[in-house]
Amino acid sequence: MPAFYRLVSKDILINQSFKFLWIPFLVMLLNTGCSSNTTQPTPNLIPSQEESTVQINQSKPKESGIIEEQEQQPSQNDIAQDEEVDDFEEFDEFEEEFGDAEENQVWDPLGGYNRVMTSFNDVLLLWILEPVAKCYRWILPEFIRRGIANMFTNILYPVRLVNNLLQLKFKNAGEETIRFVTNSTVGILGFWDPAKEWGGFEAHDEDFGQTLGFYGVGPGPHFVLPFFGPRNLRDALSMYPDTYYFDPKTEYVEGIERQVAVFVLENVNKTSFRIGEYESLKRDAIDFYPFLRDSYEQMRQKEIEE
Amino acid sequence: MKKITFLIVFALVFSRPLFADDLADVKNIVSKSIVIVIDTIKNKSLDRSTRDKKIIDTVVPFFDFEFMAKVCLGKKHWTEASPEKRDQYLDLFVKRLQESYLEKLDLYTDEEVVVDEAKKEKNRIHVITHLVTKDDKMEMIYKFRETDNGWLVYDIEILGVSIVQTYRSQFSGFLKDKSFDDLLENLKSSDAFKVPTGDK
Repeated sequence: MPAFYRLVSKDILINQSFKFLWIPFLVMLLNTGCSSNTTQPTPNLIPSQEESTVQINQSKPKESGIIEEQEQQPSQNDIAQDEEVDDFEEFDEFEEEFGDAEENQVWDPLGGYNRVMTSFNDVLLLWILEPVAKCYRWILPEFIRRGIANMFTNILYPVRLVNNLLQLKFKNAGEETIRFVTNSTVGILGFWDPAKEWGGFEAHDEDFGQTLGFYGVGPGPHFVLPFFGPRNLRDALSMYPDTYYFDPKTEYVEGIERQVAVFVLENVNKTSFRIGEYESLKRDAIDFYPFLRDSYEQMRQKEIEE
Repeated sequence: MKKITFLIVFALVFSRPLFADDLADVKNIVSKSIVIVIDTIKNKSLDRSTRDKKIIDTVVPFFDFEFMAKVCLGKKHWTEASPEKRDQYLDLFVKRLQESYLEKLDLYTDEEVVVDEAKKEKNRIHVITHLVTKDDKMEMIYKFRETDNGWLVYDIEILGVSIVQTYRSQFSGFLKDKSFDDLLENLKSSDAFKVPTGDK
């Protein structure tokens, strides 16, 4: 009976039947990625506004009275702008550098859901995760928590190896291997990090989302996950191959309860080094959800470019 | 032809070292200020307000806070606001940027700041620094532009996230369905906060 149970457990269900479920999504994302690339190189709003008013004029000549009124308003602004031209010459240059804020908006068709999920995660973090992490920090000395964090990093070596290789970063893959061998042995199962401290070899974080980005897959819509926080569709789906194929914890930790326990430990431990940072970020924001969303997307873009 | 050769030679001989000087200068400013700021944080004998004042005094000369505030708001909203509103906004937002900066410093524990290089990016200079913690390395880029008062910071990029950029899209989103007064209210309401502990 236990053998039978094991057969129908996660290995079969997830690794076999749903093995290729995420591929169609990727194809979809590839398409959106391409289309967004083609629309991007037109960041200038002003000509497009003109175009649109021209179009209106052509298509609805009978309502021209209303349109004239509409057109008068911007022209008043133009006069106001002319008076302050000196002030704005340098301004324009920077408007260009940062792009038009409205056009640069992250694609967010799930905005309503995302906001709700952000609040859910917010409550979870502030009322459960952080208080627990504070106690945890009070109980365990720093070097033990640091060691645990190192072990978690070390065990994710396959994720980094595969993704570095997929992105043709062979030097990084080599360094990762040196790190893994050294830290697993001399560093006692990764508790210490002699490869970095003595050899200067840094970890090279890469995940499957970055790999996809490397090959031109677009981010897709922004998508906030419960417990995990902000993602986009590409990165959310990428968690699947990363966790189920490359993360040894999935293979060796048996049973959903244990996996949850490990997940909780990993995150409490991680949070114990970051207490206060989230609140500080939150206070920086005028509107927290778009702030988080944009920061996430900008950060990911940078990580992919590297 | 002679003229062109002369110009090229001129450009090669003169412009490079000039710019190189600027690069070195700007990098120097950043390195020096970082040292001062970190020393000030580490000096536990200073009380909060003296400490904050000292840090702001170090940073203000090469931060163009007002310009940052303008670009964050964006040209469209800036032009539409009345002069009094603009002043009010500048006051509030500059104060907020400074407070946010000071607050980030409270999270500082034992990190090391390494100033890597100053790089020319078109007509700007980017100074690339790294905040090195025990388990992480965070890239911070200070972006400078040339003004009448010398080279000044107009944006900071942390891990690829530009501060100005995030405020720009927040403001533009906020002002889509709310008024400028609402924005001022929002900036006012959030200036009182207690600082979290940065012990690791």
